[in-house]
Amino acid sequence: MQEVEVVSGARALRADPYRIAEEDRLRSQLYGLLGLLLAREPSGEVLVIVRNLQGDDSELGLAFQSLAAEAEQFSLAAIHREFNDLFIGVGRGELVPYGSYYLTGFLNEKPLAKLRIAMRELNVRRSESVKEPEDNIGILMEIMGGLIEGTFGDVADEATQKAFFDTHIGSWASHFFKDLETAEGAHFYRPVGRIGRLFMEIERTAFSME
Amino acid sequence: MAHKNEVATDRRNFLKLASVGTLVGGAVAVTGVSAEAAVTAESQGSGYRVTDHVKKVYELSRF
Repeated sequence: MQEVEVVSGARALRADPYRIAEEDRLRSQLYGLLGLLLAREPSGEVLVIVRNLQGDDSELGLAFQSLAAEAEQFSLAAIHREFNDLFIGVGRGELVPYGSYYLTGFLNEKPLAKLRIAMRELNVRRSESVKEPEDNIGILMEIMGGLIEGTFGDVADEATQKAFFDTHIGSWASHFFKDLETAEGAHFYRPVGRIGRLFMEIERTAFSME
Repeated sequence: MAHKNEVATDRRNFLKLASVGTLVGGAVAVTGVSAEAAVTAESQGSGYRVTDHVKKVYELSRF
């Protein structure tokens, strides 16, 4: 079957993780980091990574420094409590981190259906353990990182990345990250919001260039 | 860095100059936390997450 051939051909390419440019590797890692922090409660291992983040004196670099500093201040249990208050809550959290909600005011609407179609085309599916709808911000960050890195098959070319970003992320993620940055219950997650907002601006600007 | 005052004329240059590059140190380890992946390749047997490289990164990321 044709699809299988395409995928197995891609597998050979995946053997070399350095086939992508340095700036793409960094983009992929930043998407991956946001995914680890937002798709579910971060593990102790993720917390260690975050505590070791460094940044230069740029706005984004300072946000990394501030996230690393916050991570020192909070226990894993406190971060899990914050995650729950922000994104899960009793009934609902302070924020609703789903594209469909941001774009239509309701969960599980057309944007989610469109995303599921795109995911099938890109050879991506939810892990077995994940029950949230796929338009969760953390899941989307992880998909985008995987497309750049070639986790699901071929490394996605720029046009594919841009199409996915514009349709499923660029249309709302900046609003979400701004909300996260200013959410009352956000402490550890405040710099996460800032990092996300700044990174989305960089991505949007870059995709608008030739 | 002198780079910072340059005007990026295309996407590649822009990304190089943009501060994505400030994510250093621990960030390398992000690749290694594969057990927590929320998404995976649709077709089974996707080799990426178990390549030797990834295993190595995973080992290195244990502090």
